[in-house]
Amino acid sequence: MFNLFSILFCLSLLYLSVTSRLNAYISVLRIQGILLTLLLLFHSIGHFSVLTLILPLTLFTIKVILVPRYIKKIIFDLEIKRTIESSMRQFSFLLLVLFSMAVIFFVSNSLSKSVKIDIIPFASGFSSVVIGLFVIMLRKKLIVHVIGFLVMENGIFLFGSALSFKIPLMIELGALLDVFVVVFLMGIALNKISSTFSGFDITELRRLKD
Amino acid sequence: MLVLSLSFIVISMMICYFFKNIQLQYFISLLTALIHLIFSFCFFMGWYDPEIFFVSDDSLSRLFLFVVSNVYFWVVLISLSFLKKSSASNGKKYYFLLLNFYLLANTSVILSNSFGVYWVSIEATTLSIAPLIYYYRSEESLEAMWKYLFIASVGVALAFIGILFFSLAAEGAAFESSDLFFSDFVKHAKQLNPIWLKAGFIFIFVGLSTKIGIAPAHSADIDATSNSPSPIAALMSGSLRVTALVGLLRVLQIVQSTPIYGFARILLISGGLLSLFFTFIYMFYPKNFKRLLAYSSVEHLGLIVIGIGIGGLAFIGAFYHIVYNSINKTVLFFSAGNIHQKYQTRKIEKVSDILSFIPITGWLFLISFFAISGIPPFGIFFSELTIFEGILFSDKSWVLGPVLFFLLFIFINMARPLFKMLYRKDQSLALEPGREKLTFIHIAAIALLLLLTLLALFSPDILQKRIFTILNDFGMRL
Repeated sequence: MFNLFSILFCLSLLYLSVTSRLNAYISVLRIQGILLTLLLLFHSIGHFSVLTLILPLTLFTIKVILVPRYIKKIIFDLEIKRTIESSMRQFSFLLLVLFSMAVIFFVSNSLSKSVKIDIIPFASGFSSVVIGLFVIMLRKKLIVHVIGFLVMENGIFLFGSALSFKIPLMIELGALLDVFVVVFLMGIALNKISSTFSGFDITELRRLKD
Repeated sequence: MLVLSLSFIVISMMICYFFKNIQLQYFISLLTALIHLIFSFCFFMGWYDPEIFFVSDDSLSRLFLFVVSNVYFWVVLISLSFLKKSSASNGKKYYFLLLNFYLLANTSVILSNSFGVYWVSIEATTLSIAPLIYYYRSEESLEAMWKYLFIASVGVALAFIGILFFSLAAEGAAFESSDLFFSDFVKHAKQLNPIWLKAGFIFIFVGLSTKIGIAPAHSADIDATSNSPSPIAALMSGSLRVTALVGLLRVLQIVQSTPIYGFARILLISGGLLSLFFTFIYMFYPKNFKRLLAYSSVEHLGLIVIGIGIGGLAFIGAFYHIVYNSINKTVLFFSAGNIHQKYQTRKIEKVSDILSFIPITGWLFLISFFAISGIPPFGIFFSELTIFEGILFSDKSWVLGPVLFFLLFIFINMARPLFKMLYRKDQSLALEPGREKLTFIHIAAIALLLLLTLLALFSPDILQKRIFTILNDFGMRL
């Protein structure tokens, strides 16, 4: 089951690398949130209690409802164009993503011989981190960078759940809250940027240099 | 006592949120800062032991909490006179609220004994400082805030991967790794898996270097420090970098008894040398004096990281350097803030003849520049000398060559623009020459300079004892 979710997670990453619509990016965030919630719920099947529900519920509220809605609102308010502008051709981006995923899976496989890890969730989480970084580096719009950051965070979450032990609940909750506030602050900053700078390209942010 | 001081911060945050009166906010924040300073002083002297299992009470925490609390106290002290003179009115609203939040987050970073809490709180420090960077509400400050928020968040996320690798390294070791306690990791370091440890160290080093401000991830930190108001810049240079350094030091403490210690040392030393190199390049043509000071922070943090990487005597020098540098940077940014408020520009070419327009600030700026360049009798001189001596008698004595070369040129190239700012006569300047009134900011700067000198001359036993205990905790001998 665990592996199935991870593979679905990887598919969402592939979709992320071929699509050129902003809305699709937001759906990917939603899908990843749902997958992570389901994964947490499956984890707690054996030892069910109210406490085990807190984390999945918070995760669901933040990653599936609040954050995507907030990003949609920003896009709507600021009238951002609904296409993704890339500094790289779509096809080469896909190739890059596929290549790095292959490398990550291969390396995780060879690493798993020394330490016991679940290869598929581990490698999917790590791919998500790397692809999030690619999105930040190779796509142009600032709002897309925020989405890239969120994909990275999702990857870390999946990756953390691939470990054989549980991270303490308080820390997970704190991390979620942090992410939410970061996105919130980034949203405010984006609002301000759009009212002070004319466009939304990263090329606009060139005032500060040595 | 810990609970008392923390609850005071929370109460003060609530007051700052509900009451709009700046004076009231200032007094309650100052009271909180004072209580925190007293608490951290008692903690530093060893008169207070929290004895709570998730609170770290080793010498590292005791020393760093005091350093941070000291800088914070002075920054709050001068904040009212800074706010009165400053024209930006929008930024004032949440100024003290965010400062209190900053103190809470930093205290939590330093006192946490667990990787998880450390991570959550270091992210919280970014969140608290980011809106403060945007104090002037200008395009530059907005861009600086965005870059800092984004790059620091990504960096801290990378550091979290490193932490997860560390917990993977503990697989099969005989302790409860899920709590992620530093002390457990240190105790059982020999059982950890070196491959994962190495990967984890790389991630944590790269991730945290965005917050420590060492090359090559220093750019966001430079932008943020140079575009924020000077009390905040002092806070960032004097305390935020120190709290980020705590994480790196904890990780180093874990790896020092494992086979990858040599690798970690090389990483630290090359990061430090690279920071010196970037500062060296920048100093050839500086245009903005706050940026110049921010680069000077990169230089000194680089030197500290080199000292830590070399170990032994250089390690001791690095810790003295952390203490002195935090005080010295605070004075420098206070004076730079006065200059900025007088001339309304950060461009070096537009600032001239400071010594006749604002003589007190000018002299303080000059003296603190001498202090940061390592001229006796100020602290930096002694700590730098210790670091140099440590490097010379270590197994990597060749490092001393590039370090001295870079520092010499940084000093020369930093002195040129600063002396121009201080002495050059410019007839076109439409400023009234006159006497400067002595303000809180000057008194604070003089007090800090005195503190810097006295600390170096009398070298209190307790400071020495703390630093030597840290050396022992890191498993090193002189």
